[in-house]
Amino acid sequence: MSRVLRAAAAWAVRRAGGAGTTGTTRVTGITITGITGIAPRLPGTLVPVRHSGDHGKRMFIIKATSFYDSRFLKLLRFYIFLTGIPVAVLLTYINVFIGEAELAEIPEGYVPEHWEYYKHPITRWIARYILDPPEKNYEKDMALIDVEARKTELRIMELEARRLMRHRGDGPWYHYETPDKNLVDNSMKSTPDN
Amino acid sequence: MPEDHDWEAYKVPPTRTPVSERTTSVPNPVNYFQTAFNYVFDAPVTFVREWIERLQNKNKFYYYHQKFRRVPDLSECLEGDYLCYYEAEAQWRRDRMVDQQIVEIVQERMAACRQREGPNQFQNCAKEMELLAQVTKAYQDRYGELGYHGNARTCLMKQKHRMMEERKAAQEKEQS
Repeated sequence: MSRVLRAAAAWAVRRAGGAGTTGTTRVTGITITGITGIAPRLPGTLVPVRHSGDHGKRMFIIKATSFYDSRFLKLLRFYIFLTGIPVAVLLTYINVFIGEAELAEIPEGYVPEHWEYYKHPITRWIARYILDPPEKNYEKDMALIDVEARKTELRIMELEARRLMRHRGDGPWYHYETPDKNLVDNSMKSTPDN
Repeated sequence: MPEDHDWEAYKVPPTRTPVSERTTSVPNPVNYFQTAFNYVFDAPVTFVREWIERLQNKNKFYYYHQKFRRVPDLSECLEGDYLCYYEAEAQWRRDRMVDQQIVEIVQERMAACRQREGPNQFQNCAKEMELLAQVTKAYQDRYGELGYHGNARTCLMKQKHRMMEERKAAQEKEQS
């Protein structure tokens, strides 16, 4: 971009007039563009300015801000690597130095522990220290089923007993307390003319 | 690292590529590519892998395939014995998973045979085709149209219906 601007400046110089130009003098890396010398200049000509030899005239490049974008990307990288790098290091260590298990036949008379049925060391660790053994899970489910089955049986029996007692009327349920017949006052009906 | 298949379980027949005879004195450029590949990729990777395996061989540990005891089937359970139902159901699901894996393995063998033989697949893969047909028919008979909510009870009912129809067909054949 600055090269374009420099080329435009040089073209304007050439167009404005060659009075007093001696071309670019390379003296210890300093180039002098623009018109040199003390000869009278035409109006609208450029002022002699010294520039360094490597990049030329310093330009103020006007472009849209990248502050927010680069801040976002910096923060994104930071927070991803904050846990990403330790996790990656841990996984590399486990996979390289500990390694996966090998498949083998169950030896005679040996009952493997419940975590010894998995291959990857992390899975084995989770099965050993975090999760319950599958036998315990199985037994828990069976216990729940057993309790519910007994409850069902008792409820069915209760309904049957209630039905029978209501029907036959010879059980302790479905009794409604009536007052004693000795308390009944029959004086109103004791004589025929009341 | 994913491990290779057990090569002993299914012996791949030996390749029948013909031995070519040299007709020119120009050396085969494929050999140069092969040695280049060997030195650039194969040797370093093999070296690293062997180093890792030497490290890991110092403390080895093993994993096993779990063997489940056989429990009474659903047809041997008393009615209302919910615990027996639960165990039979679990066993049926395990058996169904095993059968699904068997079907997958036979399908893989068929596909491998097809890929190997290429244009003469219909002649040379007859055994694998036959095995696949038998296995899929058996799977379809047992677990076929039970659907997603199929369980041991629906499977038993399907078997019962099949036996009833077989008996009916046998009786009709006897009468006619």
